Amino acid sequence: MEITGAVLVGKLTVIGLKSVGLGATALPGKMAIKIDPNLLSVVDQRCKKKIIITGTNGKTTTTNLIHHILSSQYKNVLSNLKGANMEQGIASAFINDTKKEYDWGVFEVDEGSFQAVVKHIKPDFVVITNFFRDQLDRYGEIENTSAVIYEAIKPLDTTLILNADDPMVAKFKELHKKCVYYGVEENELSSKNQRIVESRFCPICSHELDYEYFNYGQLGKYHCNNCGFQNPDYDYIFTNIRAGPDGNLCDIDSRGEIFKDIHFNYGGIYNAYNCLAALTSCLEAGMDASKAIERTENFEYHLGRMEVMEFPDKTVKITLSKNPIGLSEVLKSITLDKRKKALLFILNDNPADGRDISWIWDADLDNLHQIENMKYICCSGRRAEDIALRVKYTNISPDLIKINDKMRKSIENVLKEDVEIVYILPTYTAVFQARDIILSHLKNRSSFLLNIKELVEKLKT
Amino acid sequence: MGEEIKMELNIFHMYPNLLNLYGDGGNVLCLQRRCEWRGINTNIIDFTLNQEQDLSEGDLFFIGGGSDRSQNIVYPHILKYKNQMENLIEDDAVVLAICGGYQFLGESYIDADGNQLPGLGLFDYYTQSEEGRLIGNIITENQLKLKPQTLVGFENHGGRTYHDFKPLGVVKKGYGNNGKDGKEGMVYKNCIGTYLHGPLLPKNPHLADYLILKALTRKYGVKDLAALDDKLEYSAHEKVMKLYSK
Repeated sequence: MEITGAVLVGKLTVIGLKSVGLGATALPGKMAIKIDPNLLSVVDQRCKKKIIITGTNGKTTTTNLIHHILSSQYKNVLSNLKGANMEQGIASAFINDTKKEYDWGVFEVDEGSFQAVVKHIKPDFVVITNFFRDQLDRYGEIENTSAVIYEAIKPLDTTLILNADDPMVAKFKELHKKCVYYGVEENELSSKNQRIVESRFCPICSHELDYEYFNYGQLGKYHCNNCGFQNPDYDYIFTNIRAGPDGNLCDIDSRGEIFKDIHFNYGGIYNAYNCLAALTSCLEAGMDASKAIERTENFEYHLGRMEVMEFPDKTVKITLSKNPIGLSEVLKSITLDKRKKALLFILNDNPADGRDISWIWDADLDNLHQIENMKYICCSGRRAEDIALRVKYTNISPDLIKINDKMRKSIENVLKEDVEIVYILPTYTAVFQARDIILSHLKNRSSFLLNIKELVEKLKT
Repeated sequence: MGEEIKMELNIFHMYPNLLNLYGDGGNVLCLQRRCEWRGINTNIIDFTLNQEQDLSEGDLFFIGGGSDRSQNIVYPHILKYKNQMENLIEDDAVVLAICGGYQFLGESYIDADGNQLPGLGLFDYYTQSEEGRLIGNIITENQLKLKPQTLVGFENHGGRTYHDFKPLGVVKKGYGNNGKDGKEGMVYKNCIGTYLHGPLLPKNPHLADYLILKALTRKYGVKDLAALDDKLEYSAHEKVMKLYSK
């Protein structure tokens, strides 16, 4: 059967890549799909139930968290966890695993690939996180992006899990599918005004929307005075949010049932949304609530998109920052951290980053002024000068800005700074490289300290 | 001019909540900062729907591009200001229009289905949607005799604009107005239309200062501007040249 051939080629590609020192990426899947374009239909048949996660921001975190929660109850969960989210990424995940049967398939799907993926994979649930401006040179405008997904969902027999606070997402209720809505209550990080709102206009009638508050971007409590469009009633809502730099504590109100003091290890309101998107999906999928919450609380990331690494003398936090809303929200969450710190931006303009780096001017960088105890802002990556220039035009003191377009050197330098915490904010193609560089330093640093300790011990005796 | 007179520029940001693609708002921030750093006051006026305001107070106008939907929302409103815009341009007011904003100043936009969408008609050029978007880093040589000669940016447009106006730049790398005649943008008096995002002004401070000086000359008769430390600005400019001129 052809399937075997396709999967075999994929597997051989993995071996080939590993032998030359490259990790398995989307390439094996790409090779396999070339041989058998219907490979994803096989994936569809082998998964008893399926969840697809799409939208602009938060897909990878939500997918990883759903996978982590479901895995506590189900043995076989197939997922593309590493953010390779086009057809070939899903195929690669399958090739690396190839079981006869899965209880769940949990797939992150890029907005641009959604239409192609659902031709093969028929999801029981579709989670839509949000629609922001991201890599416009690839997708066109957000309205087009969401329209393509909207059309692609029409023929599907599926339940939609929708972010009720994003008007662009809530619009999907017009499809008259079964819908489950989640959202986040007003909290200390909410604001009455939002500088960068991408779609302030009613997605139904184009009238300007009235906002009671914004949580971030165009997410918030909205109402259209013309046609009455507003946040749908929540099935799941985060309330009583206590935000901190190392995570959020909140309660969930699920149709009147309250779960108190749920802790999620990752800060920023965007992570509250990710966390709730995952919990909503898993509870709707029939998971036991206390089990799901327990798994949410012990969730840890090891991918560099949001990762904490402890050095003997400092903490290093990497957070993928690849579009205006993402970057703005990351900076906002850093304002909660009072420690002595350095920031390292790594801005690349490779195709996967989006070749147009003008998005950094759509991000709200004024939050830099609210960040206390900032010793340096380092700028690196292929377009280091551009991000430095963006920082300069916020009127931050030029003395704080350091530029080095060589990523390895800039990481080396920032790790030497006398600070308690280093925040590293890379774009997509810089994340994995940055992570490897930091890990190699971590290894060297620890072994160096170990040697010193041994030496001291020896001297003592 | 007396020392005690504090100079001031009114910068109109046209429809910032609708015409706000590709970081072009950075141009307004750039103009604002470069004035402030020289002790020139700026008033940024966000001009948009549901407000009727006299444009004649404006010294500098910035018009960005928006989605088709946004431009359709803007059209009936801005049409009311057509005559005023026309007079302002004839009277040497400074206008910078980018991408959709640039197309908007012309007669019409002909979409992929052959439908003719009207523009403001301030200039007799048209834009035609043609197969394939013109996307990528772009380098031109400016026709305003500014030093350095190059302008750098990023273009991303499906429409091709055709006209006989003086171009803002001659294309060295990239596509420009239509990918055919080697021209990029247009200049008429102090009105500049261009496809260059980036945003345009922060990485091309010579052009930013050209616009500021034109506005100050018109308002105060000023002949030159104090120099700023533009090392970082030009290193970003140079980086585009280094990465994309070949």
